Amino acid sequence: MPAPHRTLTRRALMGGGLVLGGATLAGCVSPSGSSDTASSGALEATGDAGGEISILDDNTNSVFKNGLIDTFQEQTGITVKNYEMANFNDLHDRFATMFAGEDSSYDVIMTWAGWSAEFGQAGWLQEISQDALPSDVIRPALDAVSWDGKVYGLPKFASVQTMFWNKEHFERAGLDPDAGPQSWEEFVAAAKKLTTDGRYGYTCDMGNPAGAYQNFLRTMLLCGGELYDSDWTPQLDSEAGVEAMSKLVELFRVHKAMDPASLQITNASDLVEVFAQGNTSIVFNWPFQWSVATQKGAKTSAETVGNGLLPGVNVRSASIDGSEGYAISRFSENKAAAMKWLEFASSATSQTEIVQQEGWFPVSQEILQDPATLEALPVVETYQKSTEYVTKRYGTPWSNELDQLLSVHVNRAMNGKEEPQEAMTAAQQELEPIVEKYLG
Amino acid sequence: MAVRSGRSAIERGDRRFALLAATPAALTIAALFVYPLGYAVVLSLYELNDKRPAATRVVGLANYLQLLGDEKFLASLARTGVFCLFTVFGGVALAVGLGVLLNQPFRGRLAARVLLLVPWAVPPVVNGIMWKLVFDGSYGVANSVLMTLGIVDHRVQWLAVPDLTMGVLVFAELWKLTPFLTLMVIASLQSIPASMYRAASIDGAGSWQRFWRMTVPNLRGTIMFLLIVQSMWSIKVFDSIYVLTGGSGGPAGATTTVNFLAYLTTFSYLDRGYGAAMSIAIMVLVAVVTAFWVLVLGRRGKEASR
Repeated sequence: MPAPHRTLTRRALMGGGLVLGGATLAGCVSPSGSSDTASSGALEATGDAGGEISILDDNTNSVFKNGLIDTFQEQTGITVKNYEMANFNDLHDRFATMFAGEDSSYDVIMTWAGWSAEFGQAGWLQEISQDALPSDVIRPALDAVSWDGKVYGLPKFASVQTMFWNKEHFERAGLDPDAGPQSWEEFVAAAKKLTTDGRYGYTCDMGNPAGAYQNFLRTMLLCGGELYDSDWTPQLDSEAGVEAMSKLVELFRVHKAMDPASLQITNASDLVEVFAQGNTSIVFNWPFQWSVATQKGAKTSAETVGNGLLPGVNVRSASIDGSEGYAISRFSENKAAAMKWLEFASSATSQTEIVQQEGWFPVSQEILQDPATLEALPVVETYQKSTEYVTKRYGTPWSNELDQLLSVHVNRAMNGKEEPQEAMTAAQQELEPIVEKYLG
Repeated sequence: MAVRSGRSAIERGDRRFALLAATPAALTIAALFVYPLGYAVVLSLYELNDKRPAATRVVGLANYLQLLGDEKFLASLARTGVFCLFTVFGGVALAVGLGVLLNQPFRGRLAARVLLLVPWAVPPVVNGIMWKLVFDGSYGVANSVLMTLGIVDHRVQWLAVPDLTMGVLVFAELWKLTPFLTLMVIASLQSIPASMYRAASIDGAGSWQRFWRMTVPNLRGTIMFLLIVQSMWSIKVFDSIYVLTGGSGGPAGATTTVNFLAYLTTFSYLDRGYGAAMSIAIMVLVAVVTAFWVLVLGRRGKEASR
């Protein structure tokens, strides 16, 4: 009896492929979490470290590329193999993809309060021991690199928003150019008066979710509110929350003193230019506004730019924090060398350059108290005054979800599609389950 | 018998060779398509949020069931429907109109056809940046032109008002995709014998009759193809939204289509399990829409040819 002739049928081929594919997936896919190859203990300070590191930064600080990397290499003997700067708005997704793939291409990444919380909670950032923190670092600046009592990096600059005004515009409008508005009422009155000649008195950047969040949060703090209570219960629909939304809507729709382009401007760098080119009279912005507004090519100068505390609604002032720092990837194979970079970035050497060349506030105690700092960056005086008032950012693992949902209701309220109370109630209802999901 | 077995040997040899020749392509497809797709299916069966690593677990079809009651997903689905309505029907109608026009003999026809290809040759991201600059509320040329013509008396914030932004998005997509669709229509029109039109004219058929009774039936296959590819592209639209809205899908979520929501869920919220379920649902949606066009237009084609 002849042996049955076996032919390779299409069905058999497909079946085999499915089995093979399933086996491959089962073997390779591990959605349940990352491998345990990376060390998980807090990183201690190290003495000598060598080797090479790669850094992925945002495009805020060019001082590193323009000399500080060379200094670092000379001081430590560590080679910076790759230093890449990328647009801030593109970095989050890039980091997320990199970390999810347990990619060790970059040892050091730029971070801020939201990402420190998010990536820290995901277990993607290397925790740093409290003992490893340099004594010179200003402690409040550590908020940018901390979450839930753990420190995931070191700050590279401090940043809080203050008010900048165009003294020439003030003078022409019959306002005192040397004294900015001291309260929200004075600010609104000034902004209305300054809205003339096809120019708006006030402009802000709420064109994307992060911007909408920042502008709302700042106003809420100026109303004397808090975004969460001590148990992390959201307070969006609190009196202060609704009042904050109302104040923004009134400024835009009733007083018509806010540039409508504010709803389209997506980042502080664009806002900085609007002010520096004399296209608006008042902005609430980060400290680098000063350096851009006083540099060559700007229509403003050190003599024509005023700076002061943000005008409060129910409090004298308050502000939001925008400090940035560096963190170490948990998947880095050069953690000791990476730690040296973090220490270098927060050291007096780097801080002097960041303050003097770029106009950000220092995170080094020594540099903050140096008279040369005040001379190079007069707005440091306002920064020091602002420390008497509430300054928050509330970086949390759910920051992106919050930014997104809040921006929807802020935009609807600003466009008159929702009443402020309605917008905040809806935002509160959407945020509560999200917070519960992460903390519950 | 010897001949038969000889043929079998040759056939087996051919089959082996064919398998060998197809192996590199099959492996490449497996690596680039089957594996990611399988991985996405596996992920979609998990509750997997990177920010809650301890909560990771297999949930079966729960993510898919969640989609059915997810207001944000359903709203994005409706938004995708509106977007598709304009880009699919509008795009194909525009392409047929332009194709017929560019198929007529006129001076400069060749130049017009070449110019038509320019938007198609522009990279999608550049296309997005271009329209973002054109529709910029403060400095955009769109406002300058409209104000000069007296159509508007103030600078319109095109990318700050939800309905207007959706309009800009539709416009940018049509600009990008219409050239390709038109090119396909022109190619198809050229295969219709001119003698048919001449005969129809002799029989007294007017322009509209020739268009409806000759051009359109002869374009049926092409139109079906265009409806299918344009539907697929419109459901999957991403790059234009990303560039026009700065990666937010705003304002007020107005341009967050299903595909963009899947991106936000996966990469912004790091909810990879739920994001994967959305992606698989989108894939199914594309397959269903494709099957719909094939069934509807295919059946009508058969009825017409009887």
